[in-house]
Amino acid sequence: MNLELKIGWLYPTLMSTYGDRGNVIAIQQRAHWRGINVEVIPYDRDSHPDTIHQVDVIVGGGAQDRQQEIVMRDLAGAKTAAIKAKLDAGAPGVFTCGSPQLLGRFYEPGLGEKIEGMGIIDLDTKHPGIDTQRCIGNVVFEITATRLAAELTELLGGQKPLIVGFENHGGRTYLGPNAEALGKVIKGYGNNATDGTEGAFYHNAIATYSHGPLIPKNPFIADWMIKTALQAKYQTEINLTPLDDSLADRARAAMLKRLNINQN
Amino acid sequence: MQINLLDRVRLGIAVFAAKAITSTIRTFKLGAASVLPGTIGKRLHPQILTMLSQQIKYGVIVVAGTNGKTTTSLLLRGILEKDGWKVVHNEAGANLVNGLITTLLEHTSLTGKLKADYGILEVDENVIPLVLPQLKPKYILALNLFRDQLDRYGEVDTITYRWRKVIAELSSDSILVVNGDDPALAYLGQQLEQGENPKQVKYFGLTEPELYLDKMPHAVDSIDCPSCGTALDYKGFYLSHQGDFNCPKCSFTKSKLSIDSKEWPQVLIGVYNQYNTLAAITTMESIGISKPVILDTISTFQAAFGRSEELVYNGKKVRILLTKNPVGMNETIRAIDRVKQTGGSSVTLAILNDRTPDGTDVSWIWDVDTENFVNSGGTIIVSGDRVYDLALRLEYSKTNLDSGCKLIIKENLQEAIDTALELTPTTEILHIVPTYSAMLEVREILTGRKIL
Repeated sequence: MNLELKIGWLYPTLMSTYGDRGNVIAIQQRAHWRGINVEVIPYDRDSHPDTIHQVDVIVGGGAQDRQQEIVMRDLAGAKTAAIKAKLDAGAPGVFTCGSPQLLGRFYEPGLGEKIEGMGIIDLDTKHPGIDTQRCIGNVVFEITATRLAAELTELLGGQKPLIVGFENHGGRTYLGPNAEALGKVIKGYGNNATDGTEGAFYHNAIATYSHGPLIPKNPFIADWMIKTALQAKYQTEINLTPLDDSLADRARAAMLKRLNINQN
Repeated sequence: MQINLLDRVRLGIAVFAAKAITSTIRTFKLGAASVLPGTIGKRLHPQILTMLSQQIKYGVIVVAGTNGKTTTSLLLRGILEKDGWKVVHNEAGANLVNGLITTLLEHTSLTGKLKADYGILEVDENVIPLVLPQLKPKYILALNLFRDQLDRYGEVDTITYRWRKVIAELSSDSILVVNGDDPALAYLGQQLEQGENPKQVKYFGLTEPELYLDKMPHAVDSIDCPSCGTALDYKGFYLSHQGDFNCPKCSFTKSKLSIDSKEWPQVLIGVYNQYNTLAAITTMESIGISKPVILDTISTFQAAFGRSEELVYNGKKVRILLTKNPVGMNETIRAIDRVKQTGGSSVTLAILNDRTPDGTDVSWIWDVDTENFVNSGGTIIVSGDRVYDLALRLEYSKTNLDSGCKLIIKENLQEAIDTALELTPTTEILHIVPTYSAMLEVREILTGRKIL
């Protein structure tokens, strides 16, 4: 059977700083190399809100403040409702950098007006001001979101799912009582440099500050997304052929060694 | 300009102190002598930058932009010196405030006298608002604006806004030479031509549609109209977001270019160097330097160390092309690909470090369009602090896992260089594409000399 995967990419020209498109490339290639037909569908200012229902997975990246404002204005209303419906139905998504802020309730920049978010995840973000130090550096965290951790551990043959990435954000994100953290920080700042949480997990949506980009050094995330999406789409168990991830393993090992973190 | 006696005395003391202290530091090998004099000088006379730069007889040429400052400055300097003028230039790329002062101090006598006809000062894009009022430059070159080193720099819009404010305050003698193919800068020029203190603006750019890229490159910053925010229409892209644009909604469009790019040669290789050459030519023609002098300098031009440098090592030809950011790397790969297609090069050594001068966030490599380069074959050797991240980027560029280029991973830089040289036939040229700190290491290995 010829499987097909459609990747919905949020605002590729406006929200694509910090190498975020690497997440799209990685998911695309990992599907393509396995003989799965892949299509990347942009979801931007010219798109009809319902287009999001055509896709199987969603990828969102980050943007500079001005672009983020333009995106938020465009998302308000029908597009937010469509994305929320899609995520509530269990579509896997990976939202890095600035997009977690958009998924939350609001973003308060250092200077200027509060920007309303989509209000899908119970979190808010505040930027303490241009004079405060940004949270920049290599970050390592363990996935603690219960169901995700279990599914990833199985995919990894019993290994604990550890994310190795890089963060670069001025905003500090605070999770509300209804939000589930994605992980707990082992090295780095995480959501707000205070409570040790990183990101958020909502249905099958991963929201995280970790870029790098996220997926190349953490390829199991892509495989989890592809598997989850195709299983829901084709209503059958999907076993993805293993790919040679030795480069990713070596990249992770090199960084963990540099940061003095034992993989166990 | 006249400086009163008291100020001249203070200046002299500042120069003397700066030089004496620096000499001590150097003798006892205590620290960073390339910016220390500037720091000391500024402490002793806060207006020191003004006092020094205003002594430059025919004025200062400020060179700003994300990429190309050094190449363009060297070309400007080469042309002026060939024409017989005395030039001061902040060579070591010391383009922050203290570096500028240090450069000028080095040419200043102990009595505070600076003798030079022209000053060519490369200024970091974020420092422009700080120093322009003191430098009062005769020329300001705005080469380009790209995202550079993600963990350090601010946004393109904020930068142009700050530049506009500070340039508007300069006297009407100041001339702006701006990249007319760059929408944000074209808009900057147009705004400065109008307004309360209108400035003379000259635009440089390309008029060669055959150089258009096949598709819009991914690493693009400002493709919305700087005036009304609508997405710009492009007839074609020359380099990243630079090209032939106009706004479908408002009246924003390209201004007339000062010179026709088809009538002039360029230095080195790559479209990005064509832009650098045009920037220099436009400025020099405005000053009144003759065409033969300009042409002669272009034809004999040597690039700054590491930026684009050719040398021969153990009988093999090597070209080092410094890479700093997605746009630069896209252009570098494009230039190498052209050589590859003519059979001139099949081996490339790419080195990715993540130390402070390289930028600690390496995710920018995913904004580089490596696909064509990887899929067209050849051998790519990879090395550096973040060798595996780079290898992943290249691996993910492969359309099919069993075709495209051969990837060789060498953690050890010496081994990587040895392998690369070994695999390069004597009829070809080896291209080395390093980030900044890697470039210094490569040069040390290939030339046996340590550069500071």
